[in-house]
This record gives sequence, structure tokens and C-alpha cells, in this order.
Amino acid sequence: MRALIAAAIGLAAALALVLAITAIGMPSGETSPKPLLTTVPAHP
Amino acid sequence: MRRRASLVLLAAAVFCAALSPLLRWYAFPRLAKVPPSQYQSVVMEAKNADLIDYNKMEARKVSKVNIVQTLKGNVEQAKKVKDATGRDVVVWDTLSYIVGPDGKMVSSIPERYVFDAHSQEPVHAGGESVDGTPVRRDGIEYKWPFLTEKRDYQYFDMQTRTSAPIHYRGTRTFHGLEVYYFEQTIPWTKVPLPKKMPLGVTPEVVKQTGLERWYSTKRMFWVDPVTGAPVNGEELHKEEMRWIGHPEKKPITAFAGHVKMRPDYVDSTVDLVTSQRVLVLLLTSYLPWGLLGLGCLLLTLSLVLEARSRRPGSGTAPAEDPAPDPEPVPA
Repeated sequence: MRALIAAAIGLAAALALVLAITAIGMPSGETSPKPLLTTVPAHP
Repeated sequence: MRRRASLVLLAAAVFCAALSPLLRWYAFPRLAKVPPSQYQSVVMEAKNADLIDYNKMEARKVSKVNIVQTLKGNVEQAKKVKDATGRDVVVWDTLSYIVGPDGKMVSSIPERYVFDAHSQEPVHAGGESVDGTPVRRDGIEYKWPFLTEKRDYQYFDMQTRTSAPIHYRGTRTFHGLEVYYFEQTIPWTKVPLPKKMPLGVTPEVVKQTGLERWYSTKRMFWVDPVTGAPVNGEELHKEEMRWIGHPEKKPITAFAGHVKMRPDYVDSTVDLVTSQRVLVLLLTSYLPWGLLGLGCLLLTLSLVLEARSRRPGSGTAPAEDPAPDPEPVPA
């Protein structure tokens, strides 16, 4: 019974972690202020 | 004590074993996406190319033609499309700016490309267009999906404004990376003239001269299959101005050249892709396999501890009665 509870705790922790990471996601950021280029840049 | 430790190890083993497939099959498809605020430029060049001289209306050999391609993620527009469609999208505003050997503009074609941030499928919203004309893309453009497959894809051609298959032609090694090589050939097709051309020439003026624009290309991409990002691109690009209703008259070559990425841009793209592919591999390979291995190891340790705790004479087993003291023996 104790083993079953320990396994359930491990599984719940994994689920919680993955759900939290995916819920946070990635920041969308902002549109770059740099212009669309109309000259040939010297360097990347 | 051993019993408690084995239970803790068991919980940790289940945690790791469960996290492994969850990361690969649940978290990865949700976390891997093209950032909506991406800004990137690339310079391509065609050396010893043929280019039309609009003053004389004839082709001339030029030392070099540069093509500057910039793409800029439009975050505000992406949010609007997400609100309207409920999909996580990326809106790229791009510009293909062609510069002649004198540094002056040859043509300038803006584009808006709207696509799903996770799958890179085109999304028909947010004003997708080419040179100000609305289009409907059925194929990918600029970037392949994450974990690119060894198969043909539909690829959008901005000149013809249609999608056609781009064929997988094998695996190659490029700058130390294992990449998939794709090839697409667009046969001679009548295409619209760019709205911006040199010397104030407009599509209407060209049409009045009795000319129309035809185009053909062989497009080649070397794509990193992990990120789906091309690390190199080349084109055998040809454009002609043909006389309307006079197939017997010799067409004027508007452009003909082998377009290649400038070497310094190849290097910077390879560097960028190499750093990004580690993040993708972390979620698809390194972490899932590492966690699975760790889970197995922890489970084994847990079972060993449990077995030891049950063995007679172990520290946790109930203490046996001590042996009785020996009877005193008279001297």
C-alpha cells in the first residue's frame, strides 16, 4: 500500500511539473524596432 | 530507515519514468514553436548574372546582384489573429529587396506570411499577401516544421503565388550538420511584375510596351531536420520579358543567375541553428532518454533496498532475543 502511495506521489509530481511548464509557455516578446532592410549589410 | 528510503526512491523513479514520455509527447508539441518576435535577415548574391537595363531594354552582364531578405515577426498582428482564430500563430512581414551592381534597387517585393507557430502550416487570416496582393498559401515557406520528415512538402512560390511540391532528395552533411536536401523546379510560368521597379517603371508601362514577365527557377534548400530551419539555400533563377502575341520575337532576359547565400550569412545561420537544435533535442531526446534511464536506475535501487530490508538479520528486521548469559561454572 505504501509503495502504491509513493508511486502515485511520483506520478502526480511529474504531471504537475509538465502542466505547469506548458501553462507558463514562452514569452511572446515584442515586434522588433529594426526596419526591413533596403541596403546590403556588411555583416550578419 | 531502509524501507523509507526505498519508498522515496520508488516515488523518484516513477517521477522520472512518467516525466520522460510526458516531455516528449505532451510538453514538446506545446513548447516548441517559432517565436512571434523573430527578426532575421539574409543576403544572397548572384555573381556574373544577366540583368535587364530598362533604359535600353536589353540584358547586360553584371558583376553581382544582391538579394536582401528580411523577415520581421509582427507580434501585434499575431495576437489579433490568435484572438480571431484561437490558434498560436506567427505573422512574418518580409521584404525581398534586390540591389543591382550600382547599389540601386532592381525590385522590392514585400510579403506577409501567417502560419501556425507549432506546425508551420499556413493560416488563412491576418492579411497574407505578396506584393500587396492577397494570396492563399497551401504550402510552407522559408521554414520547415520541427522534426522535418524525409518526404516531399508543399512549398509556396512567391513569384507564381502558388504552392507546388518540394522534393526530398537525400541526406547531406553541411558544415558538420546532418541536413535534408530539398529541391523544387518551377517551369516557365507567366508571373506578375513587381510593383516597385527601377527608373519609376510600373507594371502598366511594361504592359503598354507589349511585354510580359515569365519566370523559371530551380530552388535548393539544405534543411536541419531537428529545427526545420534551412541552413543554406540556392536558386538557379531565370526571368524573361516576352513579347505579348509575338512568340517569334526574341525575349529579353530580365535576370539570370545562380543565387547563393553569402558565406558569412551561411556561417551565422549554421551557428544560430546549431544553438537552437540543442533546445529541441533536449525535449525530444536528451531529457526523455536520460529521465527514463534514471527512472530505471532509481527503481532498481529502490527494489534492492526493499529486498535488503526484508532479509533476516538486517537493521530493520525485528531484533531477535539475545543469547542467555552462560551459567557460572564453579572453579
